[in-house]
Amino acid sequence: MKAFLIDVDRCNGCHNCQIVCKDEHCGNDWSPYAKTQPDSGQFWCKVEEKVRGTVPLTRISYIPHIGAQTEAIREFAPEVLMNRDDGLIVIDPEKAKGRIDIANMFEGVFWNEELGVPQGCTGCAHLLDNGWDVPRCVDACPTEALRMVDTDKDANELASATKIDSKSNVYYLNYPKRFVGATVVDFDADEVVIGADVSLLDASGSVVASAKTDVFGDFIFKQVEAAPYMVKIAAAGYADKSLEADATNEDVNLGDIAFSKNA
Amino acid sequence: MGFIKDKTVFKSMGFCGVGDGANIANVDVKDGKVVRIRPVHYDEYYTKDELNYWTIEARGSKFEPGMKSLLPPLSLTYKNRIYSKNRVPYPLKRVDWDPKGERNPQNRGKSKYERISWDEAIDLVADEIKRVQDTYGPTGILSQGGGHAETKNATGTHGCQTAMFNTLGTGCVVQARNADSWEGWYWGGKLIWGNDPVGEQIQLTNVLKDVAENSDAVFHWGCDLETTPWGWGGQLSSRTAYWFTEIGIKQIFVRPDLNYSAAIHADKWIPVLPNTDAAMQLAIAYTWITEDLYDKEYIETHTVGFDRFEDYVLGKEDGIPKTPKWAEEKCGVPSYTIKALARYWANNNVSIGHGNGGGYIRSVFSHEPARLEITLLAMQAVGKPGRNQFKFLEKALFYDPTVNPYPRSEVIPSTFGCFKGALLDEEMLGKNFVPQTLIPNAIAGESFDWYGHTMCTFGVSDQFKQFDYPNHDEHGIHMIWSTGPCWQTCWNGGFRFQDVIRKESVECYVVQHQWMENDTSFADLILPVTTKVEEYDLNNDIESGQFNMMYLEEPAIEPYCDARSDFDIVSGVAKSLERFGGIYAGLYNKVTEGLSTEELLKRGYEMSGIPLDKMSWDQFKEKKIWMSPTVEGWQDEPAGLIGFYNDPDKRPLSTPTGKIEIASTLIEQFFPDDEERGVIPRWVEESPLHHERITSDRAEKYPYLLMSNHPRWRVHAQHDDCIWLREIGTCKVEGPDGYKYEPIWINPKDAAKHGLKNGDVAELFNERGRVLGGIIVTERIMPGALYQDHGARVDTIVPGTGGLDRGGANNMIAPAATTSKNCAGEVTNSFLAGIRKVDVGELAEKYPEEFGRAYDPDCGLVASARIA
Repeated sequence: MKAFLIDVDRCNGCHNCQIVCKDEHCGNDWSPYAKTQPDSGQFWCKVEEKVRGTVPLTRISYIPHIGAQTEAIREFAPEVLMNRDDGLIVIDPEKAKGRIDIANMFEGVFWNEELGVPQGCTGCAHLLDNGWDVPRCVDACPTEALRMVDTDKDANELASATKIDSKSNVYYLNYPKRFVGATVVDFDADEVVIGADVSLLDASGSVVASAKTDVFGDFIFKQVEAAPYMVKIAAAGYADKSLEADATNEDVNLGDIAFSKNA
Repeated sequence: MGFIKDKTVFKSMGFCGVGDGANIANVDVKDGKVVRIRPVHYDEYYTKDELNYWTIEARGSKFEPGMKSLLPPLSLTYKNRIYSKNRVPYPLKRVDWDPKGERNPQNRGKSKYERISWDEAIDLVADEIKRVQDTYGPTGILSQGGGHAETKNATGTHGCQTAMFNTLGTGCVVQARNADSWEGWYWGGKLIWGNDPVGEQIQLTNVLKDVAENSDAVFHWGCDLETTPWGWGGQLSSRTAYWFTEIGIKQIFVRPDLNYSAAIHADKWIPVLPNTDAAMQLAIAYTWITEDLYDKEYIETHTVGFDRFEDYVLGKEDGIPKTPKWAEEKCGVPSYTIKALARYWANNNVSIGHGNGGGYIRSVFSHEPARLEITLLAMQAVGKPGRNQFKFLEKALFYDPTVNPYPRSEVIPSTFGCFKGALLDEEMLGKNFVPQTLIPNAIAGESFDWYGHTMCTFGVSDQFKQFDYPNHDEHGIHMIWSTGPCWQTCWNGGFRFQDVIRKESVECYVVQHQWMENDTSFADLILPVTTKVEEYDLNNDIESGQFNMMYLEEPAIEPYCDARSDFDIVSGVAKSLERFGGIYAGLYNKVTEGLSTEELLKRGYEMSGIPLDKMSWDQFKEKKIWMSPTVEGWQDEPAGLIGFYNDPDKRPLSTPTGKIEIASTLIEQFFPDDEERGVIPRWVEESPLHHERITSDRAEKYPYLLMSNHPRWRVHAQHDDCIWLREIGTCKVEGPDGYKYEPIWINPKDAAKHGLKNGDVAELFNERGRVLGGIIVTERIMPGALYQDHGARVDTIVPGTGGLDRGGANNMIAPAATTSKNCAGEVTNSFLAGIRKVDVGELAEKYPEEFGRAYDPDCGLVASARIA
């Protein structure tokens, strides 16, 4: 069965996927697969931008969303789908006429007021049935962040992937969790502290990750779970230091941490 | 065929090239309409073997060009541009411009337009040319043809009217284009290490391979490889940066904002206040000198003038040692970070990557950070394996085969055999040219002088020739004829331009453009132009870094609206001028050379440099695309500046001494007393021309440094009407009045000071005027700096100096003065501005007419707003 596999670590935020989806469907009527999408306002493919951290440890994760490719729609309203054997969810605009409930129920399915139909990603079924190998979004992705895969052939790769919704046919690699980072500075010496031992401890006090500060005095723990942590810093000749780092709701930049020599 | 398309054509979806196309796309057409724009799959036309497909291998990993074009969103959204509500629908005349009576120049930008026929429009232009030439002589006409437009060849733009005056033999006042994306390199880089005509390292052969094999880190100093290459180069740079990370090359970004590259590729982001990089660079030099961390032998053998620089850095010249603490005050980077960076750099192989633009290369005194960067590179033995400077775009700039850091193609196919714009060489510029940065002075009728033609293509020796305006016996500019103009939006001091363009002396202002945007709505006559999708042309793609190619651009659709190509319009004017006989007799045939489009394209192809025995014109017409293989043995070509590194005497640079001139022989000779661009590079706090530092008196009123990159969602002033781009959160901010404002980024700390929150409308202001923007409170910008892309469409509420622009075109309030006294470059970045919240409701009440103009939030400004 066909599915989308998105590597968040390879998404550069160019929005090509979001744009070509519109290029394909706005102003173009692909009946019986899909009716025309309005010029603006619908996002069958939508890139989410997450600005993470604070200056100077600010980073961005871009997460493309393809909401309509979920088995949940098949369960909710099997009668409105095109009959296909490739796994793609294609809402048949004739069968789905008037079904505003589907648009209300699912993110990524939009109500077309003018035509009276719910609309969403079709996986570009009209192209795949006419000689294309992949949908527009995949074709336009410059980094292969976005791929169309086969759930059987690519099962191994999919095994390590994440899904936002368990019924979705959209899988993610490197779906962002949290980071915790900082710069360790000896302000008395006006120097960063290189090679300090830094440990990340969870609420139970267990060390979940450890690192040494690099040549810039920086450390960063990437892809840690959203949770409250303690950061412990130790280096020969310096007084140990512990700081709270609550990454429950957001990434944490502890900033320039003052680290002092033993008295 | 049939269901998903009727036919497919090739188009260059590049937006800045003069003869250098980019972004090859397939445009699919159905029922006479563009149905989709998509990447080209090279393997539909060529095998990898035929292309001598290249692969770079390093550290157990492979990097490949791939077999499809890596289009940017700007290309893929172009349907919005073709079918835009802002297209000029038919020829227009300003309602209160009467060439036989009152011309009402004061109403430019305000009055509406009425439809006229093509015949009337063309004859009007010809009549005005004849009248102005008779009355004032040939220098009564200013011709502007910018590069910020669709990449075209046989169909003109880029000043094909300039070429007409050249053919006519009269000439005119020609607008010369400055190095508007890399000013600092042009005015500084070339003085210190040659590398003509760019000023950045141009010996880039195999530099990517060298970085992959030998570099520990790439510093992206001001570079946004995820933005600037888009408009005319695609996205190979993005894949490259991902690969760097994959193979363990550290990527460090130095800049005030977390740009779109730093956001995803940075191992470290070092925020530096806009245009204060020079202070940080000097502190790095100080650290190296005092800690003995630089290559003394190289300095001895490869450079001249280091001792003077050393004295300056250590404070022997001016009593101020350029310590990291000294720099911290100026640039906002902690001294411990500067030292850590300096030591890391000295202990590792570091190359510096660029992408045009950035805060320090388009601001005041930009020659100083440029020269300082090269000085630092020299102190670490630039040219040594893993130590080069390179660029992520313009991989065939000026057709130089050495500027491509990727494995190069065998042929750079040229389109100049069918190019109908104006190639601004010395002959075309003539004796009556004016640098684009000084155009308002010329229109104002001022007398002034400057150095150099300022053309980005010219070598360094040109910078010492003095020119002046006006020449003797001239009567000033009385007619302006522009193709694809965006002076206000892209150059230095747009409100001042609005002052002079409304002067009585400007009797006639003709604009050829596809869209009712920017300078267009100030014209007296507007002649609508076809987009490239509607035209028949020949183009190349020589900027992808993958493979060079040439292709036939067949028209995808019939002209949308009543539009004609720039070249059709100009040759129509030539035909009309023939009515007057005399010098005008036979002009049409001279302009068209008696060639049909087909014959012109054939000539273009046959002069392109493509081996015709491999593919004749007839075969090309059949296949419609020719691709160049990678040059045989590319792997063995020496990388970057290794020749100079190994033997500076045998492989010298193009400076007078052949070495890196930390003390410049040429400045010593021509401008020994220049305090802004001195013999050695320095930190310049202020000058009589410029007060754009946080220490300046002006900073009390305008305390922020405004950072303004090449835009993410536009190519300069193009694409601002694209519906699908405008829906992206970082493209526009919807105000409480439903208008989509150009975003202003402000750090949460500064936002709190001004009571600003997301979605507020605020104004950026200084004594030059005010521009509005929509607030994004973000950790993407450091405190003390504000950020707004340049190039948003001007939407003038109050015209002229001290005016108000709703569109957010911050070039309107950029300094009018040039880079420095002897350098006529532009300053369009890192200048002082204040910020405050505005009440758009109050403004709308105060300016009901301007705020009431027809507007469509999806595409923004619409042409109908200007038509009576």
